[in-house]
Amino acid sequence: MLGQIRMKSNSLTTISAISIIILGFLCVFLLSNFLEEVHPPIPESYADEDLSLQGEKLKGYSFGAEGLLADWYWMRSLQYIGKKLVNTQQNLNLENLNPLNPRLLYPLLDNATTLDPRFMAAYSYGAMVLPAIDKKQAIALIEKGIKNNPDQWRLYQHLGYIYWKSKDYPKAAETYKEGVKIAGSPPFMKSMAAKMTNEGGERETAREIYQQMYNEAQDSKTKESAELRLFELESLDDRDAITASLQASKSATGRCPKTLKEIFPLLLKAKLPNGRQFRLDKKDNVIDPTDAPYLIDPEKCEAKLELTKTKIPQL
Amino acid sequence: MLSNIFSIARNTFREAVRDRVLYNLVVFVLLITASAVFLGELTAGQEARTIVDLGLSAMLLFGVFIAIFVGVGLVSKEIEKRTLYTVFSKPIGRSEFIIGKYLGLCLTILVNVIVMGVGVSLALLYVEGGSLAATIWGTIVLIFLELAILIAVAIVFSTFSSPALSALLTFLVFIIGNFSSSLRDFAENLGSEFAKVFFAAIYYLLPNLSHYGFITNAAHGDFPPASLILGGFLYAICYSSVLLAISILIFNRRNLK
Repeated sequence: MLGQIRMKSNSLTTISAISIIILGFLCVFLLSNFLEEVHPPIPESYADEDLSLQGEKLKGYSFGAEGLLADWYWMRSLQYIGKKLVNTQQNLNLENLNPLNPRLLYPLLDNATTLDPRFMAAYSYGAMVLPAIDKKQAIALIEKGIKNNPDQWRLYQHLGYIYWKSKDYPKAAETYKEGVKIAGSPPFMKSMAAKMTNEGGERETAREIYQQMYNEAQDSKTKESAELRLFELESLDDRDAITASLQASKSATGRCPKTLKEIFPLLLKAKLPNGRQFRLDKKDNVIDPTDAPYLIDPEKCEAKLELTKTKIPQL
Repeated sequence: MLSNIFSIARNTFREAVRDRVLYNLVVFVLLITASAVFLGELTAGQEARTIVDLGLSAMLLFGVFIAIFVGVGLVSKEIEKRTLYTVFSKPIGRSEFIIGKYLGLCLTILVNVIVMGVGVSLALLYVEGGSLAATIWGTIVLIFLELAILIAVAIVFSTFSSPALSALLTFLVFIIGNFSSSLRDFAENLGSEFAKVFFAAIYYLLPNLSHYGFITNAAHGDFPPASLILGGFLYAICYSSVLLAISILIFNRRNLK
């Protein structure tokens, strides 16, 4: 009798438990969706709060983990800019990133390099991105790097680059010359020092600078930025040559061609720097270095980028 | 039945206090006091915000450790010490035992969280973060609800697994639970229909602890919306009930001889 009652009670418990599990999961399913909807997202502006911790003071309290903290600030700086680039709706201009309001990049990199003064990747990244935000901050970061690492010729290369971006060619030449004095500096530093004075503003100089940056970059972000700049220069050469061909055709026929295929023979004759030829896709469209086809601006009769497909920023 | 459950809950709480579980509060108070004193120098006028970030994160972390390390031992310790047989010699059912243990540990965590909350509030008052001292309490409620789910997870594992493995599994659930939203986003971006269903099933089966994440907002003085607190409360009740039902099913079938 007692056994029967116990068995009955056990099966009742089992049925109740299974019912609770099924009903519970049903409620969990509904509530989970409801909570997803009502949970407020972290406001965008919170990401731009001023840094609450200062690297210099943090240094004394890091219990020997300065390197780790520096890594953390470095990663945060990459994510900070990365997020802004991903979320931006507007067409990116590499020359001016201020519309993204990236005002925390300098403090983040400053903290990273204060905690680890030999953090070369942080200096390189700063030299590549900061000139498009605030040239003074970019110079301050690299000068700090030179002060902490006087034997690093790469920092002189970076500083020379920033002065070159600021069109201060004499200062850029002077900086490259300073870099040449450092043991182990490569020959291109010397040629850069000479070129800056006479050919500072030329596209070929820019190409050489970015090619060196691409070759010497120690982190992928700097390499990617340098590569994008090289693509941009290549595309400028392409567009100049296409526009010249379009104008020649317009002069001959009195109208602007509707497609680039119409001026194919002219494009084949066009001369691109370094003996390069136009890139074509499978449908014989002339494409830019990021594989997006070039378009024609019918009003100006000029070549233009296919903004919805290209990765090249419009200047 | 209820009196049995409450007796076990009371005893579980007493035992936790006897085991010096609440000693973590001393460490917490020291941490917060030190933060309140030193952060002024470190944070350039952002002490209040940093105290909220640090205090609430520490509260969650301490709570997670208590939930895991006490929770996984609730059943196995009773078996090891053979006190379970004394309990079951009285008219107490296994389901009452599990529910009582769960409520007892919830009470321990609740006391812990309240004392920690008072500590953070006092530290905020010290650094003149008056309004934050009040608004953090909404987030503290969410932290407690998250911990209540985690206790239930620890109890499920403790009914059939060794304490070490249970602790590891519970900790993994805590980590996955905080990333489960990403799991669903990941599933939505997958091409295969099977993968979508599979990851969506995991998303709903595992506890979504990211519902309770509000610490960053709290540091800005935000109070969680009432719908979030209420929804979170119902979710915690439903999910914990499911887990406790599973625990009871397993424990009922366990041979304790």
